[in-house]
Amino acid sequence: MAVSLSKGGNVSLSKEAPGLKAVQVGLGWDTRVTDGSGFDLDASVFLLDAAGRVRSDADFIFYNNRQGAGGAVEHLGDNLTGEGAGDDEVVKVSLDRLPAEIAKLSFAVTIHEAEARRQNFGQVSNAFIRVVNADGGTEIARYDLSEDASTETAMIFGELYCHGDEWKFKAIGQGFAGGLGPLARSFGVNV
Amino acid sequence: MSVSLAKGGNVSLSKEEPGLARVLIGLGWDVRMSDGADFDLDASAFLLGQDGRVRGDADFVFYNNLKGGDGSVEHTGDNRTGEGDGDDEALKVVLPRVPAAVAKIAVAVTIHEGEARRQSFGMVSNAFIRVVNDETGREIARYDLTEDASTETAMIFGEVYRHQGEWKFRAVGQGYRGGLGPLARNYGVDVG
Repeated sequence: MAVSLSKGGNVSLSKEAPGLKAVQVGLGWDTRVTDGSGFDLDASVFLLDAAGRVRSDADFIFYNNRQGAGGAVEHLGDNLTGEGAGDDEVVKVSLDRLPAEIAKLSFAVTIHEAEARRQNFGQVSNAFIRVVNADGGTEIARYDLSEDASTETAMIFGELYCHGDEWKFKAIGQGFAGGLGPLARSFGVNV
Repeated sequence: MSVSLAKGGNVSLSKEEPGLARVLIGLGWDVRMSDGADFDLDASAFLLGQDGRVRGDADFVFYNNLKGGDGSVEHTGDNRTGEGDGDDEALKVVLPRVPAAVAKIAVAVTIHEGEARRQSFGMVSNAFIRVVNDETGREIARYDLTEDASTETAMIFGEVYRHQGEWKFRAVGQGYRGGLGPLARNYGVDVG
């Protein structure tokens, strides 16, 4: 049964699913749209070294750069409608193929053109991030973001990270009011 | 090289560091990068008698009472954001000057208004608390709050205590519900 995390909590994926080789990280949300203006939420992944920074801009995985770390990280695309209870976007991570320098993967969701469209996470509900064993499809861990965000336009949902010799997952749910720019820059991406 | 202490484990400060007179308990964390209220972590010390309680409120050393135990325990001041490298708050203990009636010094770390701000140690980056030989700078023990106290808002880190003529440190690492007020009351402090 999946471990349900609270904000700030972490769980050892290696302990929950011994022999884990690959995971599918699913991110989902509902948007409250009252009029016709579209909401375009995008999931992205930052591949970070031990210092918490990307090695290069290639380590910023998103809809226009869908493969990273030699194929060990794959963003499955921006092609879902966001309806229903399923994952809106999915990132596949082959843990056994990640370069040793990658210590952490940070999963973020951003609102495309948020400032121009005057949209923010306050209009997003039922957001979640979950880690599924790619072999067999069992959900290992899940974090339901329960707090209402308000002015943020970018949010880190969770992190996959190496601790000792285990892979762990941590529930984050923290936002960045400035959006994708400041978020990416904080990881060392040239924006 | 630090002694890596498991919860409940203890180490003889006198044996590890012969002649040790000055101990520093250091608390550190990173400034918040994401949106929301700052993470304000606070270190505090309770000077306890044999009964496990303070003799008086003066034995509770924290950001509003920086000196206790006749000056043997000193708090370096409140850091409200984690700004600065290394230890952001510290408690300095001069072991030979600790009053004879004090059998144990309990050290706690709490998040200011943690419950109200809905913050826990796991949300803070690189939060740690450690015990250092203040004479040589050598670290004796360290606890990773971010990783191992992730869903807590208050924690009893450990105890510096007397045992048969020696000073020892015991790693407690136990979370505490409710924050600094209830924690202090637990030790007999008269919290307003």
